[in-house]
Amino acid sequence: MDVRLLQRQWVDHISALFFREGFLDAQFTQLQQLQDASTPDFVVEVVTLYFEDADRLLNNLWNTLSQPVVDFKKVDAQVHQLKGSSASIGAQRVKNTCVCFINCCEEGDLEACFGCLHRLKLEFTQWKSKLEALFRIEQQIVAAGGSLPMI
Amino acid sequence: MSAMQRMSSESASTGSLYTSCLPVRGDSASLPSQELFPAGLRVLVVDDDITCLKILEYMLQKCQYRVTTCSEALTALSLLREKKDGFDLVISDVHMPDMDGFKLLELVGLEMDLPVIMMSADGRTSAVMRGIKHGACYYLIKPVRIEELKNIWQHFFRKKWNGSKDLEHSGSFEDSDRQKRVADKAEYESSVNEGTDGSWKTQRKKRDFKDDEDDDEHENEDPSASKKPRVVWSVELHQQFVNAVNQLGIDKAVPKRILELMNVPGLTRENVASHLQKFRLYLKRISGMNQHQSGLPNSFCNPMEANSKVGSLIRLDFHSLAAAGQIPPQTLAALHAELLGQPSGNLLLPRIESPVILQASNQNSKILPAEDEVAFGQPLFKCQSGTSKRFSSSGIDAQDMPSSFSSWPSNQFGFMGSNNDLGGLNNTNNSLLMQMLQQPQQHQQEPFNLVTPDSHIAINVQPSCLIVPSQLPNSLSGGNCSIAINHNSQPSSNIQIGSNSVLTTSKSTLNPSDIAFDYSILSSQSTNAPLGMAQVSDGDFKNTGLLSNYSIPVSVPSSVSTSSVCTSGAAGWRLLNSNMNIASLNRLPGHLPNLSGSLVNHDMVRNNRFVGKGTWLPSRFSVHGIESATTNWNSMKTSVDDVDKVKQEFSMDFLDGSKVEKTKLPNFPSNDFMGVLSK
Repeated sequence: MDVRLLQRQWVDHISALFFREGFLDAQFTQLQQLQDASTPDFVVEVVTLYFEDADRLLNNLWNTLSQPVVDFKKVDAQVHQLKGSSASIGAQRVKNTCVCFINCCEEGDLEACFGCLHRLKLEFTQWKSKLEALFRIEQQIVAAGGSLPMI
Repeated sequence: MSAMQRMSSESASTGSLYTSCLPVRGDSASLPSQELFPAGLRVLVVDDDITCLKILEYMLQKCQYRVTTCSEALTALSLLREKKDGFDLVISDVHMPDMDGFKLLELVGLEMDLPVIMMSADGRTSAVMRGIKHGACYYLIKPVRIEELKNIWQHFFRKKWNGSKDLEHSGSFEDSDRQKRVADKAEYESSVNEGTDGSWKTQRKKRDFKDDEDDDEHENEDPSASKKPRVVWSVELHQQFVNAVNQLGIDKAVPKRILELMNVPGLTRENVASHLQKFRLYLKRISGMNQHQSGLPNSFCNPMEANSKVGSLIRLDFHSLAAAGQIPPQTLAALHAELLGQPSGNLLLPRIESPVILQASNQNSKILPAEDEVAFGQPLFKCQSGTSKRFSSSGIDAQDMPSSFSSWPSNQFGFMGSNNDLGGLNNTNNSLLMQMLQQPQQHQQEPFNLVTPDSHIAINVQPSCLIVPSQLPNSLSGGNCSIAINHNSQPSSNIQIGSNSVLTTSKSTLNPSDIAFDYSILSSQSTNAPLGMAQVSDGDFKNTGLLSNYSIPVSVPSSVSTSSVCTSGAAGWRLLNSNMNIASLNRLPGHLPNLSGSLVNHDMVRNNRFVGKGTWLPSRFSVHGIESATTNWNSMKTSVDDVDKVKQEFSMDFLDGSKVEKTKLPNFPSNDFMGVLSK
């Protein structure tokens, strides 16, 4: 496939992620800037780590919320952790959902907490697939000898 | 400048030698490697969030720091303990499963004395506050941006900088390189400014962390003094330390004693002093700093207790007064209700001075001549007979009392309370007054065994005891309290007592000190006789000023005072020019400079440093009272004049109420006082 076409696709994808859909924010850009010749796979590496970790965190959250007596303090800590890693990676929408989650948690609203948890899962799957698509295009670009366009 | 920029952009070697990399302006040719700073700063990152950990690692490497990452707090701790001096800075997450980040922070702060930056996605003020209170030098909110990380070296540097200022006597610098860095820090700061826009803060805040708490060695800034080996406070060592402190009591724990108790070879007093500072800071954080409100001294750690004491004291006084027939029952009831109703207000501030005063009053009362018209044993000034007859109306104005009492607690300690004027002064006066009221019964019950036959007197440095006539026309300003006390000899008279406890001393030769009291008494129809009180002791005076943390003992040799009291009109008495001649009994402690101060603003006394350092020598007290519309006291000033030599010793002891007991009260003969009342 033509590199230029690939590059255009990549820009479409990433601008959708950033602007139209709001999945990403400037922190993600910063990660991209951290990536250099010595660490070519940095972003992919970190994002992979993140998804693994996030899966674990979501399961933990589910468990915590399913207890007969919900320890909202614990929930709060777990959501903060998820928020921290999401924010660090630039996952804007997940981070925002975490903020809602924390509010619900402070109010002790179990229903709303579960609602937030479901939203989180949904968003994860969505942007995970989008990111994977993005990374696939990147790999193709690199494989074709091209370079990623500047955002 | 440009060199720094070049370094940060060019130097790809993250492993550059940090230990010798402090840039030195003007000497950079000989120490080129120092321009690498802050490259090579050894940072330990602890976070159970592996994503964050990874990102931070990358970012920190981008900043040219040498990064060690760790996903478990316990591992990090053991790493830190193993590799002493292996790190310059620690960045730690707050929420970690194996150990709370704050706990880690605490341990690192106590054992390693490393700057710790806390980090969390939780940016709520309470969370940040918690981190700072636990000793974090900074709190990063996730997501962490590389711009912030570029600047974190300043926390390391600030620590060292402060350390060189404050703690270098504690031997916290382990090698000569560090010393060099310290020595060069000033130049360094100015040379690095461009790369790091936050560096100026270093300079600005460099003293912020300074802890002036306990020792006298802060002046020592000579870097050459820092060659001692660094002491690492292991958990065991720290435990020993804590045990020693507990044994001594935190207020009495001084480095020397702690060192003796710990009995650890190689440990120096300075090490202990430094650690004690940190430990106290830590305790402060833990306690939420409650006890430091209003600048109260550490010694008053237990405000509740002190207050309750005072409260009981007051009640006691009233009861005793009632017993003595000086307070009409209904008045007593009113007072009582009021006092009891106000306890919560009183809780905040301990009023320690009251016991002292009480003691003084007790002692004094013994001295009083029986024939003296003044009912109080207290009054040091004798009113002339003519004046005494003017006393009329009796009783304590219950209505006014309450207000005054309620206001005390919020005031500062007794005598120093008078920032302004009346309000504060009156309040203090009240307390004093109350104490004085108690005197009559002193013989029966000495609530405090404070009185010792000694020649020492405990006096508050800020004199003044003022009693305002009971029937105050209307509303007194909050600070005012009017109390009318029955005169024994003249049953229906109000006595107003302005008492000054003035420390005056004279040389071995008797030097008269003059005390002038001016005050206007708010009096309504009744005529009041103001009493100026001066407490004079035969031997030494010990002044205990509870103003700040210190008790101020003043040794005054001395003794006699004459006072003239002027009363103006029915409205009030003005006590003017009471001269206290103090005959010095025995020994004149020392040469005392003149001190003149207004009671109202006794800044000097308040100033801890001043008090602590020195000898505060009051030479003259004059009290001026301004009579305003029969309602308020405007100001009361006291200056002490003509005291040639007064030696006051200020002791830094933290006193709590019980200790006050040790102060001794002088006896002084009533006949020595002369009072002149004029209207």
